[in-house]
This record gives sequence, structure tokens and C-alpha cells, in this order.
Amino acid sequence: MRIVVDRDKCTGLGMCEAEAPDLFEVQDDGSLTVLNDRPGSDDLEAAEAAVMACPTEALTLVED
Amino acid sequence: MTVDTEFIPATSDHKPAHSPIDVSSKAFWAQTSEQRDQRFAQLRAEDPVSWQRPVEDAVAPDPNDPGYWSLVKHADIVKVSRDSKSFISGQGVLFDMLPPEFLEMSQSFLAMDAPKHDYLRKLISSAFTPRRIRRIDEQIKVAAREVVDSFAGNPAGEIEFASECAQQLPVRLFCDMFGVPDELREQTARSAADIVSWADPEALAGRTPAEVQLGACETLHGVAAQILAERRANPADDLFTNLVQAEVDGQHLTDAEIGAFFVLLSVAGTDTTKHTSTLTVKAMTDFPDQRDWLRADYDNRIKTGLEEFVRYASPVMTFRRTAVVETELGGKRVMPGDKVVLFYPSGNRDADVFADPERFDLSRDPNPHVGFGGGGLHFCLGNQLAKGALRALFSELLTRVPDFQAGEPDLLGTNFMRGVKRLPFTFTPEM
Repeated sequence: MRIVVDRDKCTGLGMCEAEAPDLFEVQDDGSLTVLNDRPGSDDLEAAEAAVMACPTEALTLVED
Repeated sequence: MTVDTEFIPATSDHKPAHSPIDVSSKAFWAQTSEQRDQRFAQLRAEDPVSWQRPVEDAVAPDPNDPGYWSLVKHADIVKVSRDSKSFISGQGVLFDMLPPEFLEMSQSFLAMDAPKHDYLRKLISSAFTPRRIRRIDEQIKVAAREVVDSFAGNPAGEIEFASECAQQLPVRLFCDMFGVPDELREQTARSAADIVSWADPEALAGRTPAEVQLGACETLHGVAAQILAERRANPADDLFTNLVQAEVDGQHLTDAEIGAFFVLLSVAGTDTTKHTSTLTVKAMTDFPDQRDWLRADYDNRIKTGLEEFVRYASPVMTFRRTAVVETELGGKRVMPGDKVVLFYPSGNRDADVFADPERFDLSRDPNPHVGFGGGGLHFCLGNQLAKGALRALFSELLTRVPDFQAGEPDLLGTNFMRGVKRLPFTFTPEM
């Protein structure tokens, strides 16, 4: 699974980081850094929670 | 830096009769939350997107106001919140009709749309990221400890919780972030509380709502102006300095713009958390099993607990949007210019989403409540800070005065904030 960010929708609120701090980090300028866009099985649950938590629906998990 | 868009007037076109299940009357808003919840439940079941008459006894009534669509289902609140292109904020966001001078002085980016909203919000959003909140976590814990220190040893074992505890922590954190000096904190806190009390006869004490609101706004703008002058000369590590230094389109913000920012955040950052923690100690008194469950493993259980605190309290009861395109909601035809009002406490009691919604269940998971908004661009910027403050405060309360008992709350009469004026709070004093 791969994490995809829609940069037009992301507002840098950091709900994803609160759910999955190993995967996401919002920078001081409000931009989102994905620390690891291919979460392993250990991180998958946190990644799904992050996708759910995003209030602007900027995150998706896609199969490749 | 104004973005002028054409104002779209409301129309009476294609409207049904005003709903007999009325949520606009003054009497409705004077009821207890539980009584209001019953009528919202009836609306959810019988008329989920209802056409309502204008709010009764508005502060600044508009004789041409035809009414509004009332959204009470979780799904509709989320849908409208997330579609900020079709449902805008720039024509006002408050349910009540308030004087334009007040709105100008108080709403800032809350009542704006992209792109201006995004510019202004971004100026301060870096102070509210999870990383930044983690960095001040120790400061939040110390503040919570000192707030509880101030009463835990009180031999009477009794305080008025809303003012003596609940208000203290968020006001202190807000003032720390903005850089409000000690001598201006008391009037900042009082003015922020006045702003949300406009429909409460006791808070008004014979004054008109407009007098109270404008007076409080002027006080806060005055506080801001004093601090701004100081920060221009001596920059510090606080939000006032950020706002003084910020440029948008090559222009500095005016004192009036920064003042409006300050008013907005003084309310958003203090009253909300104050009322949530007050309603939560009441809920823990009413549901002792939930308090015991949380205490038994606080660090691992508080994450779901915090979401339930906010769902159950739903401190912000109403916000409004204005439709700019013709659209359909719940089978009703919504026209450009129509107001739609989002009733968050109703969304948070929607049985289609929450099993046994009346139950305070700290293990509820998932808990997709709309207490911070239904998502979208205006989702609560301070949600991480609020949760950090609540986590620290309840850690102290449940460790140091764990047997506390809340009495009956004296509720604030308003259609905006589910607020508590006073809550008796008794406990075994710390030795």
C-alpha cells in the first residue's frame, strides 16, 4: 500500500501526524512531509486511522 | 486585501412552510440540553433537512430574512462542512443575527473563504501542529498542575468549577501563546467570556447584547493594540510577534485585522475548552463507571476518552453556511443564497453513527464526532491544543481529587455555546 497526498486539499492541520507520527510530519510552513509513504504491516493500522482522520480528505491509501 | 465577491441575497423561492418542529424560538434555546436533544431527535427522524423560521429575538434582526435550512443529521453536517465551494462562510457563520460592527471586529478568517481564509489561517497554523503542541506539552502539564494546586488543598473541599478551574487553564495557555502580559489577562478572559454570553440575561445585567459584545470587542482590540505596539519595538517568541511580522501579498496586517484575529481566537481558544471540561466533570459524576474505567489505565485510555469528552459536551452548538449553487440536501431543493445551519450537538447524537448516543462511553471507537466541526477547511485549528489541555487537566483531577462530585450546572442561555456559568464541585481535599 502507498500513501498519496492531495496537496491541493491538505491544509497542514496535522491530524494524520497525531494518528501516525512515524509516517507524517507537518512542517512549520504548514507543508506535510510523508516520512514513509509505504507503511509496513506494523504501520498499516495507523496509516488507515490517519486517512480517516483527515478532515479535508487529502489522504488516500492506494494499492500498487 | 479584501476579496470582493458579490453578495448573494436569500430568497423565499421554492420553500416549504416553516417546520412545525421549531428550533428558532427563544423558548427552545432556554431549555436544557437534554430537552433540546429530544427535539433534535424528532427532527432527525421526521424532517432531517427542515425549513425553519428566522431565529427569534435576534440581536440584529433582518426583516428580509426568510429563514434557514436546519441540518441535524451527522451525514448532512459532514457533507456541507466539507464542500466549502458550494457552502461558503463569507456571508456569515453565526446562527444568530449580530451587528455588522461586531462581526467585523470579531470573526476574522472564521467568516472568510479561500483564498483569504487560507492565507490568514496559515499565519498562525504552525503554532498548532502536533509537533509544536508536543513541544509545549511540559508547559501544559505544569499549567494544569498549578491550576489544580490552587484549590486541591482547600479544606472546604468545594469550588465553583467553571471559573475557579475550567477557565483557568485555557486562558493561561492562550495568553502564553499570544504573549499577553499578566496584567492584561484578567480583562482578556472576562471579555472572551462576555462575547459568547450575548443571550444570557444574567451576563447582560441590564445591558443590551450589542453593548456587551461591542464593549468586549473594544476591550480586546485595545489589549491587542497595546501589545502590538510593544512587539513592534521588541519582538518576542509569540503569536502577536508572528502577526506583526507577517506579510500577505506584500502588506502587513492592520491593527484591526490582528485585533479581529485576537478576538476570534480568544473565544475559540478559551470558552470551548472551559465548557468541555466543565460538562465532562458533570458527565463523570453521572457515569461513575466511566470515570473508574478511565482511571484504571489513564495513559492508554485517554485517547478515545478525549474524543468522547468533546462528542458528549459538543460545546459549539451552531455554525452557518450560505449556499452559492443550487443543490439538493435530504430531498430538499437548496437555492443560492439560502442559509444552512449546522447543529453539531444533534449530529453528535445521531444514532445512525453512534450506538447508544446518549451514553457517555469513553471507549467509543471509532468516534467520528463533529465537535470540532464536520471537517473541511474550517475544522478546528486548536483541536490538538484542546486535547492536550484536557488530557493534562483530567490527569491531575483524577489523581488528586478523584472522588469529585459535580452538582447541577447553571447553563448559559445562548444558541451558540453550550456553556456552563456555574457548576458546584466538591471533593476530598488533598492532605
